[in-house]
Amino acid sequence: MRHVVFRLDKDRYALPLAAIREVVVTPEKFSRVPRSAPSVRGIMNLRGRVVTVVELATLLRPDQPEKKHEGPPRKIVLLDRGRRELGLLVTEVDGIEAIEKVGPAPPKAPATVKGLARLGALAVTVLEPEALDAAVAASFSKISRS
Amino acid sequence: MPSGVDTSRYLGLYVSEAQEHLEQLSQNLVKLEQAGSTGPVIDEAFRHAHSVKGMAASMGFEATARLAHRMEDILDAYRSLKERVDRATGDLLLSATDALLGHVRATADAKVLPDTSALMGALERKLWVLKPDTTPRPSSPPPPPALARSLGLPPRFALRLKVAAGSATPGVRAFLAHKRLSGLGNVFDLRPGLDDLKAGRLNDGSFSLELETALHETEVRAALNTIADVELASLRLIEPDAPSVPKTNEPEGPRAVGTEPARTVRVRTELLDQLLDGAGELLLATARVREVAKSAPAASRGAMEGEVDRLNALVKDLHAKVMKARMTPISVMTDRLPRAARDIARRRDRDVELTITGAEVELDRAIVDELNDPLLHLLRNAIDHGIEPPVEREKTGKPPRGRVQVNVRRDRDRVVLEVEDDGKGMDDAKLRAAAVSRGLMTPEAAAALPMREALMLCCLPGVSTATDVTDISGRGVGMDAVKRAIESVGGTLEIESQKGKGTRFRLLLPLTVAVVQLLLVDVGDETFGVPVAKVNGVVEFPEEQLARSQASPLLPFGNTLLPVYSLAEVLAVPNGHVHAGARPFVVVEAESGKVALGVDRLRGQEEVVLKALTRPLDLVAGLAGVTILGNGQPIFILDVPRLLT
Repeated sequence: MRHVVFRLDKDRYALPLAAIREVVVTPEKFSRVPRSAPSVRGIMNLRGRVVTVVELATLLRPDQPEKKHEGPPRKIVLLDRGRRELGLLVTEVDGIEAIEKVGPAPPKAPATVKGLARLGALAVTVLEPEALDAAVAASFSKISRS
Repeated sequence: MPSGVDTSRYLGLYVSEAQEHLEQLSQNLVKLEQAGSTGPVIDEAFRHAHSVKGMAASMGFEATARLAHRMEDILDAYRSLKERVDRATGDLLLSATDALLGHVRATADAKVLPDTSALMGALERKLWVLKPDTTPRPSSPPPPPALARSLGLPPRFALRLKVAAGSATPGVRAFLAHKRLSGLGNVFDLRPGLDDLKAGRLNDGSFSLELETALHETEVRAALNTIADVELASLRLIEPDAPSVPKTNEPEGPRAVGTEPARTVRVRTELLDQLLDGAGELLLATARVREVAKSAPAASRGAMEGEVDRLNALVKDLHAKVMKARMTPISVMTDRLPRAARDIARRRDRDVELTITGAEVELDRAIVDELNDPLLHLLRNAIDHGIEPPVEREKTGKPPRGRVQVNVRRDRDRVVLEVEDDGKGMDDAKLRAAAVSRGLMTPEAAAALPMREALMLCCLPGVSTATDVTDISGRGVGMDAVKRAIESVGGTLEIESQKGKGTRFRLLLPLTVAVVQLLLVDVGDETFGVPVAKVNGVVEFPEEQLARSQASPLLPFGNTLLPVYSLAEVLAVPNGHVHAGARPFVVVEAESGKVALGVDRLRGQEEVVLKALTRPLDLVAGLAGVTILGNGQPIFILDVPRLLT
């Protein structure tokens, strides 16, 4: 199955191509979402649609301190969620690769990780789109309950 | 040239009123044909045709008037014969109504009226069949005086006018005089005809007409005084014993005969928008006056603040009324559906019964305007793709006549509009396959879609399950536009469908607030929108001078002290802003009562279209919606009542 392969800092990740609507460049400014989790970067205007964008690195590892981003502008991978999109902020998109065999996820991996795969010499963490969406929703409900 | 202004003004009125009459006429005809009823419906239809005739005649559109006149005759014949309107006659009368609409539209666009002589002939033949003993009458004959009185018609004058021999443009002069008179009432029996009049082909420089008007003779004379080069040669009351009528200051437009004058006025939507803008600005201006009143000398301050409170209450009331004036019953959209349903069903050989409920529910004008076409499209889909041909229906054990229901109801702060048919339902497998074949998704993704989302695929551009492309609907492009229109007014679309059982399109629409007037405030680097309707005032006040009760700061406002909240803290927005001197506070009505929200800057007011919050944004407490400002920046709209809970 074809996957979009991208990087968070130096680590490689992949999402099924079928779950991705498109990849866009980071806008100049996000509008902040009030009362949201640290992983939520803000909302952006995508051709008249309002899209929530999350810091994927923070979503995957909430306990790690957020790194200040440097270097070329980052990309937003737009997850296709039917009538809406969810934007994932990543360091860079490498390309589309065929990944057929996905090995089991490490024992302590969160639900967002589907498993590990190899692309030549490189290790790639394959993510689960549904779980990513659920993780974002969960981070919101946690906030509003606290 | 004042008469020129008058002409265009009445033309607009003529176009909108004639269209309204014709739409109602067409509804009446559908009802007549269905129920075969006589009585009130045929009376109503007759009145609409009659009104259109009168209006068209008074504007000088004689072909239109003649056509309307023939319809009126046929309706009258049916009325007196108490005969049922059959399908063929229904078709004929509806075509005539359409032709009249065509005339009116051509008039609006300043085009040549379409030729309707063939239709005219058909109407005359029909009339001859109905009433062979009546010979065809000349067009627009004046009703005999006795009849005129019994119909409550105003008195009628016979006028003869003469264009000065030296006039360089006798045609223009005569035409202007005719227009001016048309503005006073109904013009009949114009000689020579309007075309000759315009071309200046006058009989010895003069022309004659009859004018039916509620105005007094002196006023008719006065109206003609303003037209240069035209002289009133003679003026005579045709009916000397007409009762005197009260004077009116304004020239009266054409009126429907036999109907009560409606107690409503037509207002352009544009004007309503401007009124809303104005009312919103007034709210803010009042808030600014309140601010200024703070620095008034102590002696007059109390009185001033009292007055500002009163002013504020009045302005808020005005704002609410303007919002209310924008509310329009949904019947404005649904009234034309029976006719449309009939036509589509006839063309596609379906037998369909349309029922509409809840048409009295009101929505903001802006939403109604946007949904006109989408609703018609959904109806077309239901009949064209939903309802099966009668034979096919009977084979599957359904009644041959299909049912389409349009149900509208209020559900708390939303309006739910459903278009439901008992047809063959949508085929989700076909939709999934179509999405894959168009390269919109992989077969896996398509197969994995839940039913709900699979049905929504019909809204993707280019996906269509219709096997045939008819002149009525091609589902693909249309549904895409339907969905976009619904979302543009802040609504959502849901589809439910069961194969073999039918399909239901459900539109969830905001009641009024699709268009919201916002006060834009800056907090830190962010901008938020506060609905102006929820704002009680805006105050600038030095932060260090706030009163304190225990630890909480209080803002003096009117005669009271209001609890102060920093909007940055409430919304968890970082804010390094330091306020030297006065800081702006927005006083709002929260659930617990009035509170003051400390902001960094007031950015002014903007009217925006509210968009519903999608997941995960709908999980955030204190947000009412989101919008995109004119500069492309997306901002959140605060849910003021629940902001602090």
